[in-house]
Amino acid sequence: MTAADKPNMIEFRDVHKYYGEYHALRGINATIRAGEFFSLLGPSGCGKTTLLRTIAGFEDISSGAVMIDGKSMAGVPANVRPTNMVFQSYAIFPHLSVEENVGFGLRRDPRSKEEKAKAVAEALEMVGLKGYGKRAAHALSGGQRQRVALARALILKPKVLLLDEPLSALDKKMREQMQVELIRLQRQVGITFILVTHDQEEALVMSDRIAVMFEGQIAQLADPETLYRRPASKKVADFIGTMNFLPAQLISDSGATVEIDAAGFGRMSLAPDQVMSGDGEGGATIGLRPETLTILFDGQTASDREVLGTVEEVVYYGDMTYYDVKLEGTSVPMRLSMRNVPGRPVLDRGAKARLGWSPGAVVLFR
Amino acid sequence: MSKSPSLKVYVIAYLLFLYAPIALLPLFAFNDSRVIAFPLAGFTTNWFAEMWADANLFTAFRNSLIIAVSSSLLATTLGVFAARASTRYKFPAKGAVLGLIMLPMVLPEMILAMSLLVVLIALGVPLSIFTIILGHVLVCTPFAVAILTSAFQSLDRSLEEAAYDLGETSASTFRLIILPLVMPGIISSLLICFTISLDEFIISNFLGSGDPILSVYIFGQFRFPAKVPAVMALGFILVCVSICLLTIAEYFRRRGIAKTGGKDTGGFL
Repeated sequence: MTAADKPNMIEFRDVHKYYGEYHALRGINATIRAGEFFSLLGPSGCGKTTLLRTIAGFEDISSGAVMIDGKSMAGVPANVRPTNMVFQSYAIFPHLSVEENVGFGLRRDPRSKEEKAKAVAEALEMVGLKGYGKRAAHALSGGQRQRVALARALILKPKVLLLDEPLSALDKKMREQMQVELIRLQRQVGITFILVTHDQEEALVMSDRIAVMFEGQIAQLADPETLYRRPASKKVADFIGTMNFLPAQLISDSGATVEIDAAGFGRMSLAPDQVMSGDGEGGATIGLRPETLTILFDGQTASDREVLGTVEEVVYYGDMTYYDVKLEGTSVPMRLSMRNVPGRPVLDRGAKARLGWSPGAVVLFR
Repeated sequence: MSKSPSLKVYVIAYLLFLYAPIALLPLFAFNDSRVIAFPLAGFTTNWFAEMWADANLFTAFRNSLIIAVSSSLLATTLGVFAARASTRYKFPAKGAVLGLIMLPMVLPEMILAMSLLVVLIALGVPLSIFTIILGHVLVCTPFAVAILTSAFQSLDRSLEEAAYDLGETSASTFRLIILPLVMPGIISSLLICFTISLDEFIISNFLGSGDPILSVYIFGQFRFPAKVPAVMALGFILVCVSICLLTIAEYFRRRGIAKTGGKDTGGFL
């Protein structure tokens, strides 16, 4: 069964949320499938956390509907919804031990004491905290608190696990480790995970699908590769990674192919799936990711097309070198990234460079 | 930073002026003479025995204890409500309401006592220990609110949401999460209100019906020079008890803040 065949777990139907005059959610329509690792990605203030909290039941919606597993959540309070949340601050109860924290949600569970203790031990083992049960919660490190929060939420076997920027308080190394662990955990338990993050890399690494949000609206909902290769608008393209933009002129649109003339790159024809409706900001623009441009060194020939430029800036990153290259006949330099391999020189500023590129990697926003 | 010797002298003089009189208390409490004067006459514990034998003093102490315990319980309960409201909820004229709650802290107690007396007499309420408790609650509540606001503020809101998310109701969340976490603040508030009430003189004097109250009784004893050494002995005990209570209160307040991982933003010590 592929992800697309799975039933819907969450459904947003034209969800609006007002805080007084402020329109925080502006008509959210989306479905999240069962067993999916789904991310809500966007800059701060875009409404992603608000949307997550409407699933948990911490925010009432002004209009529309939030459905969980086919049931409308209108009037259903947070404490009976089939969701559990991992908070940004982890919200570990500081006056309780690790096992009391993890077992907190089992208080109303009719099972025997021994069975509950077993469930707590299993949950702790699952998050890699075996033997930490008796410790005081306030003495744990950030990463350990994170794991306790996960165990505490997962022990109730919710239909949906909500994660509100769970990794933002960790340092880089720890964050990368927890990313891998969260993916492993999600596959193991098979529960729908919904992650809120402002970190595009985190979203790309972890998610099956991502909803990119700006100003209370979903700008694009797609899998990571589509989002990266075919961003729906310049804004999405700019938020996810780096993209070079150049003005272009539309020559013809036959439906099957779109002919354009782009500054620096000249004429090219694009397939319909390369053409995005854009922001409606007027004027056509082409977009190219830095890694789709390659510098051709002596003796190398372009696999597709070739264009000339001058190196304006060189930034050396160890494994990569970033170049800003200005093409002939353009005013903005193109950012491109080259993997550094032994024996290949790093070009100097002012050097002439031949760039290889392919119209297949171009996206047109119109 | 330059060190000015005159500033040093000033600080020493200031501290002496503040604390030297209190240091005299134990000195004369153990001094074997009815006259409060130097040179000291020798060591005695007679004054403690004399104080102990005074039946009126015991009645005064019992009354003061009833007043202090009741008013600290009432003021702290009201303080919990006010602190919770001020840290969690938005309501119209919030600033004004909270300002009015805190006002008795800076209002001259004399004015409070006089206006309360006028109102109580106008309403025909007979003066009693109960009216003193009312007055003390008014004076203690701002302190309770100040301490408890600091306790409630250091509470992360997502702790409540987490408990709620894990299936608890608002009532059980309050009992299982909020109350244990603000308990150090509550204990601290109880102890400080108790101390304030025990020491309070003006309201006890104005709103009392003549039942002996500790502070008023002590003031009365000063009219009789022969009684002064015994009062000194009592004063010495009260100072010790006050310091102990305040220290315990501050200990609990700080422990509470450390426990919830918050930053220390208030307090009196």
